[in-house]
Amino acid sequence: MANPLLSRAADVGGALLGRLQDLRLPGVGTASAKDDPARAARRWRVVTVLLPADRVDPGDLPAPLAALGDRIEVRVTPAPADKGTEVAARYRTAPSEEDIGRLRAALRASKQLLETGEVLRMDPRPHGERAQTPAGRLLDGVVANAKKEGVL
Amino acid sequence: MKAVTWAGVNRLSVEDVPEPQILNDHDVILKVRRTTTCGSDLHLLSGYVPFMRAGDVIGHEFMGEVVEVGKGVREREVGDRVVVASFVSCGTCWYCRNEMFSLCDNSNPNPGITEGLWGQSVGGCIGYSHALGGYAGSHAEYVRVPYADVGSFVVPDGVSDDRALFASDAASTAFTGVDLGGVQAGDTVAVWGAGGVGQMAARLSAIVGAERVVVIDRLPERLEQARTYAGAQTIDYTTTDVAAELRELTGGRGPDVCIEAVGMEAHSPGPQGVYDQVKQQLRLQTDRPAAVREAVMACRKGGSVFTLGVFASMVDKFPLGALMNKGLTLRGAQVHGPRYIPRLLELMERDELVTEHLATHVMPLSEAPRGYELFKEKQDGCVRAVFTP
Ligand SMILES: NC(=O)c1ccc[n+]([C@@H]2O[C@H](COP(=O)([O-])OP(=O)(O)OC[C@H]3O[C@@H](n4cnc5c(N)ncnc54)[C@H](O)[C@@H]3O)[C@@H](O)[C@H]2O)c1
Ligand SMILES: [Zn+2]
Ligand SMILES: [Zn+2]
Repeated sequence: MANPLLSRAADVGGALLGRLQDLRLPGVGTASAKDDPARAARRWRVVTVLLPADRVDPGDLPAPLAALGDRIEVRVTPAPADKGTEVAARYRTAPSEEDIGRLRAALRASKQLLETGEVLRMDPRPHGERAQTPAGRLLDGVVANAKKEGVL
Repeated sequence: MKAVTWAGVNRLSVEDVPEPQILNDHDVILKVRRTTTCGSDLHLLSGYVPFMRAGDVIGHEFMGEVVEVGKGVREREVGDRVVVASFVSCGTCWYCRNEMFSLCDNSNPNPGITEGLWGQSVGGCIGYSHALGGYAGSHAEYVRVPYADVGSFVVPDGVSDDRALFASDAASTAFTGVDLGGVQAGDTVAVWGAGGVGQMAARLSAIVGAERVVVIDRLPERLEQARTYAGAQTIDYTTTDVAAELRELTGGRGPDVCIEAVGMEAHSPGPQGVYDQVKQQLRLQTDRPAAVREAVMACRKGGSVFTLGVFASMVDKFPLGALMNKGLTLRGAQVHGPRYIPRLLELMERDELVTEHLATHVMPLSEAPRGYELFKEKQDGCVRAVFTP
């Protein structure tokens, strides 16, 4: 039943979202679009959590980060002023794009768990007829990757 | 249940869809009593926010009755009559704690999309595309409201459904612009756009003490409402040079605060309008900024320009020189609902803020496609179509 054209559209959608990060104007923002790939892969990926540093225990990280185990190193530092605590992570060895996507999603989910106690769940949600058009499948691909992409 | 869904560019349908469920402990399920069209929906409909999937339930300005409560909800109970903020806010991140609720770090489950577009993601919004989270919208019999303790507000007995409805988005958006745009007692405020948002910005400017309020649009019935309900002076931009009129009205100074409530599909007569249309169609710019340009040029030196109108990405021919040399402050924001809704409900209870006149067309959900047609084409004097599921 799977239509190869439609599943290809979803793949392209996922890839497009990755490429969108590189479309950024030079000098704008903090993405590593201009870094060489090895440097980009080694960058610390950082979220700031609104908790005092003594409430974020690097030895007892939320499950999504803990699941990455020894593959990542994690650094916890107080943020300036009232901003909370910075939680930074990166892989010890050269990661794949897929690995980095997993780390982004893990950092975001961990921040949510620390700040709100839950990770938002979205499905099942009410919706009508999902027409299987190439544009629709493209967006499905974008959405499926939206937690793993971005400038983080 | 019945719901209004986006079926493709400029196509809506009314479909039978599954009912929403409690998915997180902080959720409530609302039985929708009133839900309305917003100018922002027009940008979705016409395809300028290209993150809609066929079958998505739309609608983000609404009120209703709580019918089910998640086990983590503390402040709401079954039976509460509530109005709900259109943006979703967790209440515990730094942005929420600092009352910048639409910038919530935790309420947009698809952050990768807007981080790519804007460098940072913003909060999610009910019924407003996958870029803002992919939440099912309120044009339905039931809707899920996440973080209900933060985003839903009990409507006082003295305030009708029809009035409270617009605290959800139009009036709270307007309050965001009036407050963060810095309107002060004695100011002259100019508002571009006499839709629900612009009219509320005009009225709230007067409430916080603006001495003179001027509303700019081309639709006579909307300008009439702005005069009647906001006590504003009005300018029809199709027959009058807006900047010249504003100079004359303000002793040559220009307005202290300029609030733009038009958005990325601004209409403009003459060559500028053609230029923007062509560039937008060719995707050389995503947005048509005619009203923002005019506001920047008209604003007094050292004044403030606030964009409430929604823009998606890039604009062209922006008068940055005027902004810089005149020492202007340019700000914008999506609505920080929970910061303003309690005060709006008080103003509504005291009859200082009335909103019912915006609901020019009230109809059942099944007629929503017709309601959107009237609203989009501004036919039959339509200011807002309101649906009663
Ligand atoms: N920032 C937010 O959180 C937020 C919330 C709600 C709505 N909005 C945005 O606010 C804008 C207005 O919303 P609305 O519901 O009032 O929409 P609306 O479509 O009812 O009103 C827009 C008005 O602008 C007028 N207009 C068009 N071009 C103009 C120009 N060049 N000069 C002056 N007026 C012009 C139109 O005639 C119309 O009356 C939309 O862009 C909407 O997306 C933003
Ligand atoms: Zn809106
Ligand atoms: Zn938040």
